[in-house]
Amino acid sequence: MLELRSLTKTYGGRAVLNSLSHHFEAGQFVAIMGESGVGKSTLLNLIAGLDAPSAGEIIVDGQSMATLDDDAATRLRRSRMGFIFQAFHVLPHLTLAQNIALPLLLNGLPQQRATEMLDAVGLAGRGGDFPRQLSGGEMQRVAIARALVHRPALVLADEPTGNLDPETADSILDLLRREIKASGASAIMVTHSHAAAARTDKTLVLTGSGLK
Amino acid sequence: MKPAAPPRSLTTWLLMAGLVLLVAASFATLQLKWAAFFTLEAAATSAEFLSGFAPPEMAPAFLKKTLVATLETLSMSALGTLLAVAGGLALALPAAGRFGRVARAATRGVLNVLRSIPELVWATLLLVAAGLGPFAGTLALAAHTSGVLGRLFADALENAEPLPEQTLRTNGTAAMAAFLYATLPQTLPQMLSYTLYRWENNIRAAAVLGVVGAGGLGQMLKYHLSLFQMQNAATVVIAMLLLVALVDALSFALRRALTH
Repeated sequence: MLELRSLTKTYGGRAVLNSLSHHFEAGQFVAIMGESGVGKSTLLNLIAGLDAPSAGEIIVDGQSMATLDDDAATRLRRSRMGFIFQAFHVLPHLTLAQNIALPLLLNGLPQQRATEMLDAVGLAGRGGDFPRQLSGGEMQRVAIARALVHRPALVLADEPTGNLDPETADSILDLLRREIKASGASAIMVTHSHAAAARTDKTLVLTGSGLK
Repeated sequence: MKPAAPPRSLTTWLLMAGLVLLVAASFATLQLKWAAFFTLEAAATSAEFLSGFAPPEMAPAFLKKTLVATLETLSMSALGTLLAVAGGLALALPAAGRFGRVARAATRGVLNVLRSIPELVWATLLLVAAGLGPFAGTLALAAHTSGVLGRLFADALENAEPLPEQTLRTNGTAAMAAFLYATLPQTLPQMLSYTLYRWENNIRAAAVLGVVGAGGLGQMLKYHLSLFQMQNAATVVIAMLLLVALVDALSFALRRALTH
């Protein structure tokens, strides 16, 4: 589903990622751990096509990201990927239903599934609310629903519980795992939390010498 | 106990002394005739001049003419502001750095030039190109206000929370759509508020622009003052005051509705 081939990323001559290779199995939920500054978020950005590698290749669904121009990478992200961020990134001026429906709108898909996802993440009947009316945990529920609503093949989550208290984080991780498994998507979650990593199928540790 | 004030540095004292010196030098070089200003003769002349304004001219034909000029001034300010919104928006995007640093610096330079030249100077320049009348006045208002609004809009865009637009881009939204759906809605109330405020300013400016021949109430005022028809001039001044008060109130109410 996703393959990294000798992936290298340098900033100002300093290699953040150095000749990284790994094959991610389809349908697997993988955690990536590692020290701060080791390049975990950089790796997610490269996989998403938001940044270009200095060397090496990223293969998504058999297609090299290097062959895609900016528009094609945008289309690939839109249709095949879902994103969950530590700071939620829920749009403040849209209602919960509109936030969740955004990927459907962008992909020209029917909006009905937004209501289903709202129910699935425990926010039934609150589609007309605005993000300012939500707690952090509720906002992350909206973000999870938005990431999965268009049935992406790959979900990328960057510290999804980093801004939440342990109890809320637990329930969010349960929800995230349940929804990812229900959708059949592959997922990569960058985290510092061992508790979060324990909910995944496999934990990889990113170090200067590679992804193990 | 009240804490002791920190001691002032020598630089502060020198700066203050320099300012006092500059103020004293200003009075000395301007040769202001304060004594002549406060004489009984000056007071009598002023009273005689002001009494010439009363009563204001109220003949229906003249009131109709004043109403037409009032509407002309209102139109000049509204159209000038509208054109400035379009111009300001077009220039704000590159000035906010959306097309790179070179375009940002170049556009900010253009905006500086546009707003550094006052409306009155723009009107004088444009009268040559567009001829006497409200068209030149409208263009003058549009040129200066484009510079002001362009800068304010660009600053608003630069200060907008970038996360919503980044989120949309990450989720596969095209750059223009991400801007329209994430950044513009954030800045729109602020932009509308700036626009209404500038419209208030432009009403006053439009009244003054007429003095250089750019139509409206200003032109009418200049005409009657130059013929010493003080009662007619008084009616025009009252129309100006009413128009400015009306637009100020309307703009204030709209801005309040937008920001509360």
